[in-house]
Amino acid sequence: MTIFHSCRGHGTYLQDNKLKASVAGFVEKVGKLICVKPVKSRYNGEVGDVVVGIITEVGQRRWKVDTYSRLDSLLMLSAVNLPGGELRRRSEKDELMMRQHLTEGDLISAEVQSVHGDGSLALHTRSLKYGKLIQGTLVTVAPALIKRCKTHFHNLECGASIILGNNGYIWISPLLKEDAENQTTKSDTSTLEREIVARLRNCIMALAERQMLLYDTSITYTYEASLNYQVSQHKK
Amino acid sequence: MSSSTLSEGRKQFIVDGVTQDCRADGRRCIDFRRFQIETGIVSNTNGSARLRQYGTDVLVGIKAEIGQPKQERSNTGHLEFYVDCSSYNTTEIDGHIGDFTTQLTKSLERIYDSENVLDLKSLTIIAGEQVWVLYIDAVVLECCGNLLDCISIAVKAALYNTRIPGVSVNDEEGVLELEISDDPNDEKKLSIDKVPVIVSCNKIGHRYVVDATQEEECCSSGRLLIAVNDRNNICSLQKSGTGSLDPSTIFEMIETARQAAVPLNQELLQTLKREERSNNDKCGFFAN
Amino acid sequence: MRKDYQLPKFYDRLVCRTGAVSQAVGSAYIELRNTKIICAVYGPREVAKKQEFNIQATVACELKFATFSCRRRRRHIQDSQEKEYSQIIVQALQPVVRLDKYPKSQIDIFITVLQNDGSVLGGAITAASVALADSGIEIFDVAIGCCLRQIGDLSLIDPTYLEEEGRLNNEEEDEIVTNANVTIALLPSLNQVSALIMNGELDVDSTQRIIKDCLEGCIRIYPVVRECLTKSLEEKMSRN
Repeated sequence: MTIFHSCRGHGTYLQDNKLKASVAGFVEKVGKLICVKPVKSRYNGEVGDVVVGIITEVGQRRWKVDTYSRLDSLLMLSAVNLPGGELRRRSEKDELMMRQHLTEGDLISAEVQSVHGDGSLALHTRSLKYGKLIQGTLVTVAPALIKRCKTHFHNLECGASIILGNNGYIWISPLLKEDAENQTTKSDTSTLEREIVARLRNCIMALAERQMLLYDTSITYTYEASLNYQVSQHKK
Repeated sequence: MSSSTLSEGRKQFIVDGVTQDCRADGRRCIDFRRFQIETGIVSNTNGSARLRQYGTDVLVGIKAEIGQPKQERSNTGHLEFYVDCSSYNTTEIDGHIGDFTTQLTKSLERIYDSENVLDLKSLTIIAGEQVWVLYIDAVVLECCGNLLDCISIAVKAALYNTRIPGVSVNDEEGVLELEISDDPNDEKKLSIDKVPVIVSCNKIGHRYVVDATQEEECCSSGRLLIAVNDRNNICSLQKSGTGSLDPSTIFEMIETARQAAVPLNQELLQTLKREERSNNDKCGFFAN
Repeated sequence: MRKDYQLPKFYDRLVCRTGAVSQAVGSAYIELRNTKIICAVYGPREVAKKQEFNIQATVACELKFATFSCRRRRRHIQDSQEKEYSQIIVQALQPVVRLDKYPKSQIDIFITVLQNDGSVLGGAITAASVALADSGIEIFDVAIGCCLRQIGDLSLIDPTYLEEEGRLNNEEEDEIVTNANVTIALLPSLNQVSALIMNGELDVDSTQRIIKDCLEGCIRIYPVVRECLTKSLEEKMSRN
């Protein structure tokens, strides 16, 4: 492809005055900007994205979060809400209490605050809708399959709530009660709610395998179609 | 992608799900995941099989070579196992990958390399000197929990598929010469009547699950590996995992595993027979 | 190979001593008839390799047959059977030790089999537990290991090497002879099984029976071990 006087976007490079693609994927033209978006790649974060991440390391004043990107994302201590909702400078005591708040293996929902020079993301959970995720199931799909929407938190009519992280991590949980802050590890999910979660999980995995875009409507339609079958008879 | 450590909340969710007999994917505690099995896919082997399940892909190849018998068992052939996990994502395994593969290899050897399982005497060519040695190699392309069970099913299928060429012994001037026949009609099949299938029973909370996924394995407090053959006899037991088990729990797990193994063995045998009869052309590795 | 059949034997030749290795934190020496096993415990100490943060202690075990211990000379490098035994012993002892009391630490157990005359795994587990008890590391209970070999109708507890490896030769080839061996590690006070390995072909009822017999064997060994530990404690206290 020989294009002159155009801007190079992601997934392209210039050689001998010719613009060439460096990945196999879709070409997107926005005015003069030409990008090639690969079908399968690690998550490339952008500011404002909602992600679901797994804590991998507790470090000095920060947590390292796995968001299926090239580098682990960072969640600074200053970027989380203190328990109790206080507003103050973080002290040494807070550093020691970090492990109490979030430890290795915990799941969080967060928003991308900024992107560093090397491509790693800085996350924050400075809002009541973000935070630790406790009761539910995690499903991983390719990030390209998540459709960008206005909101990524959905309370589906079938009786479950899902968070479609832009990074391909999807969190399915039973409908959150009003006092979601008091959610402890104690369980109070009934078998019916569990079946709904399991059914949704199988639906999402089936859609992912067929490379279909995931958003609330597509998942709801698939769910309704699956009601004809027993959950335990699903293929996966 | 997911780490081997799960948060307390996720673990609790899985444990409660098992207690209510509704696991993360909707299965009951004694349900196996669906899998596909194909035999005879690698032409350079005497027998091969491939097991595919969502997230799991195991390939087993058996090569028969003439070799020396083992010291303690000079009249029988023997089996040698090797499990290759190198393509499998190594960060998922707790501990050193060498230990993990050694454990799998030794468990398989202990269970399958015995007179109780295969008619090893029939693999003798010249008693005390030359026997057939079956090299069984398993390659794990990917795994989503319950690896040993999958390998055992693939091994059983590969053994069913194995054909050992006929050998004639010629005595020329005191020197024994072996001649391997090229005639495909002269090949020997192995009887898999007593070959067991391994069912791993994981204790999660107060109940037991069969065919655990990777997340469920992280929550299990004790695992009992039970090898059950077609006659519903127990061929082997091995407890693994970091927790301890009550004796009564062990007996219950044995019973659960045996109940789960009965339909598994039957279906596997039917599938293998059907595959053999249909004799369809293998259309390549990734054809569905 | 005809053997003289022995009556179901209950251990009667278990000799157990602590303090065999003076440099170790805890050690034990066990003689089970002709099988001799020595065990040393080191730790808890800092984890040797730079590993991930672990809120619990790690238990590592290395079992080695001395090269002269078996009928055929063994190699001086740990082979796969020894590695397997080591892993089984680790799994047998993990429920025993109070791991949450020693975060970020490692407990090393070294077991050497000086003479192999059968029942090695059971003896090794018992030796390791006695060494742990001797070392002062906090434990919930002592794990007692016991082996059982079933040949036909006979149950032999703590079989010798010949009994383990031998098979019944029967005149009529059609006769189905059951051959099985089982090794169990039991925590007597808690009545929990921390290791179980069984090989052979048995129906469910026979399996249950030999497991119960083996548990019986463990329970009979327990008083000997307890006596050994109390004696050694008395000696230590009288020296002070």
